[in-house]
Amino acid sequence: MSSSTLEVTHVTRRYGAGATEVVAVRDVSMTVAPGEIVLIMGPSGSGKTTLLSMLGALLRPSGGTISLNGTPISELPEGRLPEVRLHKFGFVFQDFNLLSSLSALENVAIVAQLAGAGPRRARERARDLLIEFGLGDRLAFLPEKLSGGEKQRVAIARALVNEPPLILADEPTANLDSKIGHEIMRLLRRVAKEQGRSVVIVSHDQRIKEIADRVLWLEDGQFKEMVTMAEDPVCKMAVEREKAADRLEHAGVTYYFCSRGCRKEFEADPARYLLPERTLQGASV
Amino acid sequence: MNRLAIRNLVQSKRVVLISVGGVTLALLLMLTLDAIFTGVERQITAYVDFSGADIWVSQESVRNLHMTTSSLPAGVAERVGEVGGVAEAVPILYLSNMIVTGEDRHLAYVIGLPPDASMGGPWRLAEGRPLSGSGQAIIDRSVAEGSGTSVGDEVEILGRALEVVGLAEGTASLVNSVAFIAAEDFAQLRGGGEAVSFVLVRVAVGAETASEVAARIETEVEGVTALPRAEFAAEERRVVRDMSTDVVTIMNLVGFLIGLAVMALSVYVATLSRRSEFGVLKALGAKTSDLNRVVILQSLLSVGIGFVLAAALTFALSMIIPSLSANLTLRLSAASLLKVAAASVVIAGAAALMPVRQIARLDPAMVFRGK
Repeated sequence: MSSSTLEVTHVTRRYGAGATEVVAVRDVSMTVAPGEIVLIMGPSGSGKTTLLSMLGALLRPSGGTISLNGTPISELPEGRLPEVRLHKFGFVFQDFNLLSSLSALENVAIVAQLAGAGPRRARERARDLLIEFGLGDRLAFLPEKLSGGEKQRVAIARALVNEPPLILADEPTANLDSKIGHEIMRLLRRVAKEQGRSVVIVSHDQRIKEIADRVLWLEDGQFKEMVTMAEDPVCKMAVEREKAADRLEHAGVTYYFCSRGCRKEFEADPARYLLPERTLQGASV
Repeated sequence: MNRLAIRNLVQSKRVVLISVGGVTLALLLMLTLDAIFTGVERQITAYVDFSGADIWVSQESVRNLHMTTSSLPAGVAERVGEVGGVAEAVPILYLSNMIVTGEDRHLAYVIGLPPDASMGGPWRLAEGRPLSGSGQAIIDRSVAEGSGTSVGDEVEILGRALEVVGLAEGTASLVNSVAFIAAEDFAQLRGGGEAVSFVLVRVAVGAETASEVAARIETEVEGVTALPRAEFAAEERRVVRDMSTDVVTIMNLVGFLIGLAVMALSVYVATLSRRSEFGVLKALGAKTSDLNRVVILQSLLSVGIGFVLAAALTFALSMIIPSLSANLTLRLSAASLLKVAAASVVIAGAAALMPVRQIARLDPAMVFRGK
């Protein structure tokens, strides 16, 4: 997998024309850096799904450009988009969208085969991923025999099997209970931070803020607000930089804290908590 | 993707049952009809095939039995017998008429045989004895059983009551049967006259082929047509086939259309029921051609299973039916299997057309809209 930067430049999407025209996404620009987790939130009908579809080369923008590592994918001919989707994007859906007639292993392997892997290689890769995700004893299970969390882990394995640089997730925790939702969030974070993949999540779930590097608020097709997340190095809680209870410069890095207590603990023994800053700079709305 | 096609089929048991069942029945209709007609064709020439003659000599231009009349001068058998390469020549009389048993009337080829004829008689007697003189008849066993007639009973042939002295085996078809009477009775009942219908010829051992001898007969005996047995039988089959082609074509077309309708509907329903899954695959990066392959393979598999089942059932019927009805023989021919196999491929392809179009129009972005 090679790291890729996704750049969205003045993207607009209109539906209909004339009096019936609806602008779902209006002049949106953003950049997603390798390894970054971006959470897009917003009310229903704000254009989140349309934006996600455009980011995933499923829908063409009416205006503007979407580029991946400098290649304007929004301008590629229709015939090339399936290949781009196969190799550059991994999709995770709210309803898991596993193929009901295939086992967990086959659901993952089929995507590798679509990308050109031989059947044996595809199954090996699928097996390795599912074992890594704790589903080694569920390989032959049909989706109907899996729990919601297991289905979503299979879906994430499927999203990763072709080693795409970008993961696009649509409400990945919506159909899961709180515990399983956390599990999935941790998994997505691992995917981003350990494997250096960018993750764009569209969700209403506030809990996802905890793992996001940036939170973008989409309303009426436009980004209204940006929240940059950071992790309290002491208690490991996710905190919004702008609303952090306290902050401290140490060795040229800014640390954000959920409370003064955490800051004091950090100050007493920084080496104990010293972690590289994981938030990313430079994202703009 | 092949695995997906197979798994989809296996999982949609009800759809598969309907589609495979429907196609099986439609193809069974086509195959059985072909088998019946092939069987009838074979049965209809049974008399020619088993007559014992190597060559059939008839009135000039008469080339078969069915719906024809052949009249040759009485002395023609003698002249044919003198032709080089001919070992034996037996004149027979022939007319298509009825065997009347009480209220029942059975269509039959009535054959008038000279005394001690070495050819042209029944080749297998199930019961009774050969003809030994005037006032006797041999009819087919199944006709006798059907009408409650036994050896010793009387039947009416050419308007005269004749005693049944024997029951022949294998001389009935779905269309008619063969009845044997003495040539003397035949001539008398027909109003006298010395004419014969056909001359059956046996070629001398070691002589030329039947074709060569037949050609010589035509050259040396005026006003006759001489055909080797196989050719005469083929002409007979051709006439029957020509008469039944339209019926067979129409019934085959009906079978084809039923099969197509059932398959088209079931493949369409199967695709429709997995529309969202096809959308997911498209979103993940599957090309439309990948998905088409799944649909076409599903269609081909259903039709293939249907074809195998239909062929097996037709084969089973061809074993069972003759034991239930002696007059009906089903014969599954390679030509028929090839024809129906080709029709099956067309059905599978045509049935997949609509779903293929549906897949082409599928918007992959639907996966994010929860459709």
